[in-house]
Order: sequence, then C-alpha cells, then structure tokens
Amino acid sequence: MTPPKATAGTAAWHVVASTARGRSHLARGRPNEDAVARRHLPAIDGIVVAVADGHGHDRHFRSATGSALAVQVACRVADDLATEPGRFRRRPAPIERIRDQLPSAILGSWRAEVARHVSAHPFTEPEQAGLDVDGDGPEVPYGSTLLVAMITPAWLVCAQIGDGDLVAVKPDGGYCIPVPGDAALDGLRTTSLCQPSALDSFRVGTRDLVAGPLAALLLATDGYGNSQAADPWQPDWARDMAELAAERDREWFAKQVPGWAELCASGEGSGDDTTIALLLADRGAGTWTR
Amino acid sequence: MTQTTFSRMPGGGISRRPLHVIILADCSGGMKGEKMQALNYAIADMIPHLEAWERDQEQARVYFRAIAFATEPRWHIREPVPVTGMRWRPLEPVPKGLTNMGPAFQMAAEALAPENIERRALRPAIILITDGLATDPPGQFESGLSKLMAQPAGRSALRLSVAIGRDAQSDALTKFIDDPAVPVLVANSTEDIADRLVAASLAVSRMSETGADRGAVARRLFGLPEGMSGVFNQDTIV
Repeated sequence: MTPPKATAGTAAWHVVASTARGRSHLARGRPNEDAVARRHLPAIDGIVVAVADGHGHDRHFRSATGSALAVQVACRVADDLATEPGRFRRRPAPIERIRDQLPSAILGSWRAEVARHVSAHPFTEPEQAGLDVDGDGPEVPYGSTLLVAMITPAWLVCAQIGDGDLVAVKPDGGYCIPVPGDAALDGLRTTSLCQPSALDSFRVGTRDLVAGPLAALLLATDGYGNSQAADPWQPDWARDMAELAAERDREWFAKQVPGWAELCASGEGSGDDTTIALLLADRGAGTWTR
Repeated sequence: MTQTTFSRMPGGGISRRPLHVIILADCSGGMKGEKMQALNYAIADMIPHLEAWERDQEQARVYFRAIAFATEPRWHIREPVPVTGMRWRPLEPVPKGLTNMGPAFQMAAEALAPENIERRALRPAIILITDGLATDPPGQFESGLSKLMAQPAGRSALRLSVAIGRDAQSDALTKFIDDPAVPVLVANSTEDIADRLVAASLAVSRMSETGADRGAVARRLFGLPEGMSGVFNQDTIV
C-alpha cells in the first residue's frame, strides 16, 4: 500500500480527548487526579495538547491540583513559545527554540503556580509537619507527570516527564515513540514535576511531518497502557489505529474515545484514572492522497 | 460514571494488571511429617483468601507460582497460574534435603527479570516459608539474594517470611525481608502456619490496592508502631 502523502503546510489536526475516574479511586472516594487540556495556536496554525497524572499517594495529597495546574501551564507556555518578536509583528518561532525552551518554561511556570496555590491555600499544621518530617518541599504534595504535544501541519514537538504513553501512528500502521525512553521508569515508580531534578527528567522530541507524516498521535496517562493486555501493545494498537484513522471520521472517534477511557478505568482494565488525548490528521483537508 | 457503548477499540484488548505471588517453600528433610502436612494445608487455605480478594477488588489479577527448595530449588508451579479456581498440589519434603535459600532466590530473580514479567505488573509478592536456618555454603545466600534485589521487581517486591518455630527466625529471614519495619511472621505451632499465611495473603492483597494506606494496613496486620511502615508505604516517585 502506498502511504498517503501530505501536501506541505496544509494538513490540519483535530483533538479528541476524554478522562475517566479510576474504579479504585471511586471505591476510595478519591477524585480523578488526571487532567487534560488543549489550546488552539492560531499564529502557527497548530494545537497544543497536554495530559497529566497526579500521583495519588498520601505524600502527594494535592496531586489533583498539581495535574490540573500542569496542563494549564503547559498550554499557556506552548502558546507563548509558539511565536517570537518579529520586525513588525510576532512570527512563528523556530522549532528548535521551542523544543529547547519548553521543559524549563513549563517547569518554572508550574512551580510558580504551585507557590501561588500554596499562598492562597496554606498547608494545615499536620500537613506542614508531615512535609517537615520527610524534608519535602512545597511542590511535593502537587506531584504529577506531564505529557505535551505541540503540532502544526509541518512539525511536531513533544515533551514528557514521568510515565504515560506518547505513541505516534504512521499511515502504514507503523509507529514510533516521539520522545526518548527513561530507564528510571520501571513501571512501578515515576519521575515527577515535584522533584528537584525534574528538568533533567524531561524528555523531548521533534518530528518533521512533511517528511514523515502521521495519521494519529496518542497522549495517555498510564491507566491506558496499564490496561492493555498485549505486551508490547503498541504494534497491534498502531496498526488498528491507522486503519481506524483511514476509515472513520472524527465524529466517530468523539463518540468512541470516552468509552475507551471508561473501560480502561473500570474493573476490567487497570482500575486507574485514565486520560486519552488522540490527535487525528484531518483527511478532509485535501492533502491525503493514496 | 456514564455508560458508553462503543464498537471498536484498537489493540489486543484489555485486562486487569497482573499481581504475581511467588511462594518459596522449604522442603528440606526437617519439614517431613506434620510440618509439611500443615504447610500444605496452610497454602491451600491461603488461596481462597486471595481468590476472594481478587473477586472483590477491581484492579489486579492474581497469579500464583511456587518454588520448592531444599539442597536445590525446583519449580513446583513454574508458569503463573490464575489464583481463581486453582487447586494446590501438595509439596513433598526432600529426604535429607538441606535448606539452601540462595539458589531459590536466584530462581525467583530469573522469573522476575524484566523480560519475563509484564511491564504493567503490580509489585509482586514473595513469601518465604521455612522451618530452619539457611544452610547455604559461604556466600551463596548473599549471592542469590543480591541477584533477586538486582531485579527491579525483586527489589520492589513485598517480601514476607513465615518462620515455622521460633528457632527458624534468623538473620537470614531479616536480610531477605530487608525492611526493619516488616517482622518475620512466626508460627509457633503447626496450627499457626495457616494463620500466618492468611496474614501474609491479607498483606499482599491490601498493600496492592491503589491508594491504600499501606502504613495503616501494616500496623493493623503486624502490629507495627506508628511511623514505621517502610516498604508498605513506598512512594510512587523515583
């Protein structure tokens, strides 16, 4: 099968996202500690999507807030970095600059937002005592992972800290992981925005979408991957996803994806909070040819 | 939670996360007679507790394996068996068999190597049951234990030990557990063995639940003082 080709600069992207509270969280009266956000970036004809997973451990007792702040900050920072001052008006920023600055800008803004939240909502005495005993800074209760994708017709920039899955689906059903792996992630513990070493734990990647087009891109918290029976699950998943992306329209995905998240969050899957953000190349943008 | 019907989800289907339980059972010569009988009864009695827990929670699928060790270890149950509907096949003592634990740890380590265990598996549980002191030649116990601890799943595992008789409670068992907050469970009589294995199965099940207050569970099950929770309260961040 001849892979479809995208005419440079004209492929559009659509986002379908959904989040579901984990069955185990429901049983304990805990909220959904995942978060998802998206923002259109009109200056670069692009979109930014972010998903985050609050840790849910009693040491991270404000992680639902931490994950919510993370996705909001990520979208805002992406918007800021997407353009740079030009002679008469702002112009699209070079992709390398975005890639290089995204992690530190997100981390700095997230820490500032956490500080603002703490100021507005001080820790109780027992909470502060707990932090003091463990030697934890004020960010630790807000601990969260974060996955971010900025995508335009021509390029993709991704950044990730912690567990969760970024999977890029090629039109021929192949796949790639757009960010480097992290050997510290052993499936049992994760790196986190709340750690002093967080900047070193970020992984970033870029992709030229003209030279290497994609059919879809998945951002998901680990509730999704931990539900997949196959190991590894990405090969079959990507092949199916490429077929679906070729056969179905975004309205179909908009109806399907919430069910996928709910199933993974249920007792049939991981039972964990599950958030899925699926970016779909717009086949109707007049660019895909076979 | 909104019920949504859907017609197709990509990939190979979904399932609960695996929770691997590995029993390391002492089958040395000293276990013959009443002790082995009591141990077999206790393991058979433990299984329904794990079954019931698996049924009641909605997160894990429990898989059971067992290594019988004496002078040498061997797999009694090599392939992970779903605990639901499982029937325990009795262990037999090895005549004149010694109590060499190091090779049993190494065998467990191989089973828990990253290429042999699902990446999405929950922290496994390893339960060492013995009636005697380790008889390993110099260095063999430590070598086997270090191999187990070299595996991420081995290091993060919930490691429990049941000593049959106070004489069996030794530094070796404490080294295996490697957490001062976790006591060796001592069965003072053959009747106690079942109770101790039930406590172990409760520990395995309760600690595995997401969001569980593991420290509180440990204190309740093992009578630990406040502030001591060790491995039971392992954080989720690196």
